[in-house]
Amino acid sequence: MVQILVYGAVISAIYAMLAVGFTLIFGVARILNLAHGSFYALGAYGVYALTADAHLPLWLAAIVAVSLVACFGIGMERVLVRPLRRSTLAVLMITLAVNLMVEQVLLLIFGSEARNVPSMVGATYHLGDVDISGQRIVALSGGIAILAALWFFMQHTRLGSAILAISQDAEAAQYMGIPSDRIYSLVMGLSAGIAAAAGVLVAPFQTVIPGMGLLPLIKAFAIVVVGGLGSIPGSIVGALLLGYTETIIAFKVSTEWSQIVSVAAVLLTLILRPAGFFGKRAAF
Amino acid sequence: MRLRLFSSMAAMVIALGCTWVAYPAVAQQDQPIKIGVNTAIQLQVGRDAIDAAKMAIDEINTGGGVLGRKLEMVVADEGEAATEGPKVGIAAVNKLTGEDHVDVLIGGYDSGVTLGELPHISRAKTIFLGIGSASPAIQQKVKDDYEHYKYIFRVNPTNSAKQADGLIDFIKGKLKGELGYTKISIIGENAKWVQDIVPALKKGAEDAGLQVPVAEFFDVQTADFSPIFTKVKDSGSQYLMIILSHAASDVFVKQWYDAKVPVPIGGIDVKGQDADFFNRVGGKAISEVSTNFVLRAPITDKTVAWWDKFVKTYNRSPVYTAGGAYDAVYIYANAVAAAGTTDTDKVIKALEKTDYVGVRGRVQFDELHEVKDGPGYVNELFVQWQDKGERKVIWPKEVANGKMISPPWLQQN
Amino acid sequence: MVMKPVDFYGASIAAATLALVPWLLGSNYVTGILTVALCFGIWAASWDFMSGLTGRENFGHSLFIGAGAYTAGFLNVSYGLSPWWSLPAAPIVAVAFSIVIGFPTLRLRGPYFALAMLSGAAVMQSLTIIFSEVTGGQDGLNGLYPLFDSELAQYYLTLFFLVVTVVTLKLLANSPWGTILRAIKGDEASCQAAGINVTFYKIASLMISAAFAGLGGALYAHYQLQVGPDLFAVILSINIIIMVYVGGMGSIYGPVCGALFLNLLTEGLRGLSEYRLWVYTLILIFILFFLQQGLFAPLWRRLREVAK
Repeated sequence: MVQILVYGAVISAIYAMLAVGFTLIFGVARILNLAHGSFYALGAYGVYALTADAHLPLWLAAIVAVSLVACFGIGMERVLVRPLRRSTLAVLMITLAVNLMVEQVLLLIFGSEARNVPSMVGATYHLGDVDISGQRIVALSGGIAILAALWFFMQHTRLGSAILAISQDAEAAQYMGIPSDRIYSLVMGLSAGIAAAAGVLVAPFQTVIPGMGLLPLIKAFAIVVVGGLGSIPGSIVGALLLGYTETIIAFKVSTEWSQIVSVAAVLLTLILRPAGFFGKRAAF
Repeated sequence: MRLRLFSSMAAMVIALGCTWVAYPAVAQQDQPIKIGVNTAIQLQVGRDAIDAAKMAIDEINTGGGVLGRKLEMVVADEGEAATEGPKVGIAAVNKLTGEDHVDVLIGGYDSGVTLGELPHISRAKTIFLGIGSASPAIQQKVKDDYEHYKYIFRVNPTNSAKQADGLIDFIKGKLKGELGYTKISIIGENAKWVQDIVPALKKGAEDAGLQVPVAEFFDVQTADFSPIFTKVKDSGSQYLMIILSHAASDVFVKQWYDAKVPVPIGGIDVKGQDADFFNRVGGKAISEVSTNFVLRAPITDKTVAWWDKFVKTYNRSPVYTAGGAYDAVYIYANAVAAAGTTDTDKVIKALEKTDYVGVRGRVQFDELHEVKDGPGYVNELFVQWQDKGERKVIWPKEVANGKMISPPWLQQN
Repeated sequence: MVMKPVDFYGASIAAATLALVPWLLGSNYVTGILTVALCFGIWAASWDFMSGLTGRENFGHSLFIGAGAYTAGFLNVSYGLSPWWSLPAAPIVAVAFSIVIGFPTLRLRGPYFALAMLSGAAVMQSLTIIFSEVTGGQDGLNGLYPLFDSELAQYYLTLFFLVVTVVTLKLLANSPWGTILRAIKGDEASCQAAGINVTFYKIASLMISAAFAGLGGALYAHYQLQVGPDLFAVILSINIIIMVYVGGMGSIYGPVCGALFLNLLTEGLRGLSEYRLWVYTLILIFILFFLQQGLFAPLWRRLREVAK
């Protein structure tokens, strides 16, 4: 039981980091960002390149990688997404193309083989009868810290209030003098940064390959739908739900079935309660 | 807007035109003997196959070629099996046979892609020497419909059913016989060939008097192996047999090492065969056992010299497809020399009589056109990652050159 | 609505070109590539009929393709029936799938419908891998028989069905039926208020779309002689949507051109070896960014104006 509790918590924290950014940019700018997984991949590869090739210390590499990916997110929003924003499908397509592009570029630079990112903490800890690697504890606490910081930012800063205002009613917010275009860029940067941080935190115990962004994208998608598109609390609840369901199935049934759970959950949610648990907007 | 539309349209058409004109479709006679290599060029297994085939071709050409004709290599990409399926592989085979008119195909990596290519290869009546995919279903076709599928040979590796026999031998001889283990677990990825051999393995182990408390599959995309490790650990298993090829081997050993799972691991780990695997996982593969078919060890007289030459030429150690591709080129060249022609039917007859000592052992084909295994032939080697990334053969006993070690956290003082 | 002569000539020239090219080039390789491209053409046109007209982007079109292809595989390989049975059976099974998935999901809008369809296809893909005893797992079903021994004959059959698909769907799209579908895209609530049974039209158009997708799946299976879980993959649906987008959404013929173009492009870029997909994506970004209406349908409209 303790095992399920601990491992489920780690997975949920990672999922939450992925889903929060994804839901944020949808809630604020109505952008379904299919390039979200590539932020995660770029974060992991960034920290790999900075440690293995540029020989930076790990903590510095992590910070630099996350900032670079955030800039990449802002750049993508400015150059590719903004001119197309009138059409949802065009945005979907262009972010998808960015996703494919990032994968191909990573493949050409780093090759198809997995790359190794060293652990931040090498030790193994014992909680009761559970053996858990230090890196997983780092990922768990890092994830919680980032989510807490995000919550504080949204609730207690002017900028956070502006973002919330836009997500509630973009037009009204604009009349109030909130520069929506700048906010969109900022939120994209924020969303990219959080995804990259997730990539950095899990890289030591995950596989770092060019195609690594696809699965997190699908998970983020699933979580956000289950929780309600655009809702941050929803995405956290969704992450916990999915993280624990997968872990319980892996422990009690078989790992073979744990992957199908996320997609089945999406389908069921959409059929039974399309707006998700916390979605405000009607889905039909 | 109009200008932009037309100019971009023109650019597209020109781009398309150029790429297609680049392939002249000329039929050639008394020209070089063409060897088509169909493989996944973005992967290490693909690049090594191409480079090793090239090495063999250069050697043969330096020695005057075959029947006075030079050999020439044409490469076609099989694409990414994971995202593109067999579509690109089938097109690759059709291009090599229909457009380049190759005399032989050497290649294959993903079993699903190879199976998809087979009917197209046999329709083109071209010899295919498989060097990468392990599914028994491939050679089974030769038995089911010889006339139609006689073109299909497998040089490398031995098929997965035979590999399973090798694993059972390892379980019986090494794990039970020498180490006295009584309880092992088996896990494998959700791919067809693994789904075929895990039950056989379980039965073999149980027949040998071992308990198998956990025998489970996991999705190829699994990113967290903690639940599996926990189950295996709780079951009291003394050894964990693994069978993975497309799944994330590196994640698997990293998570195993980081959690200090008190169960040693070993089995078929296709990526764990790579020479740089140890470094790629930061040394966390220590004590993992993986089967392999070629290694810098005196397997035959040719092995070490070939290995060193490959390393010198390409600056990296070869993986299993390299040994297969290198041998395949020589086997085909010898068959052509023996037949005195490149005529497909005659070369097939000559190939069936192959008796060639390559870098992986002595090669003969059985009635399924499958490379023979066992003592004296091509052997499955059990190779362990040891200190500083050194690799030692620990089984079969006859070729072993090292002692088996335990994971550092299990070593008794 | 009667077809304008200029459209009729254009379509005839296009069909005649497609009929002549493999005959002139005569290589099995080119014929094979074109056969695959035609199958994608059928899939793109069928996607466009449902999604392009009603504006409900279906991210799980591969569900119907896979259903059709696996039907062909089961009948031909597992039950040993003649490959010709696949042609009627595949569309029927695909339609059955469309009814099952359509009723609960078609009331959804925008991203919700897209995601629901996507998950439907993804679930099927996982199931084919888990139930490997029946489906052949990752390797799929092998040993299908071709419909004709000659690849050229197979090609002409596929071309015939492509023409049938395009003509049928185009006629439907130009009929009052198509007008209603476009009206649903514009304002569903008003349509309902005007007494149109919106649900019926949406389900029916999904069924038609699925039928042709399934047929295309069977044709594809009997050319490739193999079916695998990649036919249910999300990436296949996405590729089809890209083709439709490049062709020009809502025009039926545009997506077919897009499918032919992109298929020939991926194959033509083979000479670039590992840079192939990179260049492909680069070209894609270029088209998506600069030609938001697509490439082929707008081009044809412009050419038609010039012809006038």
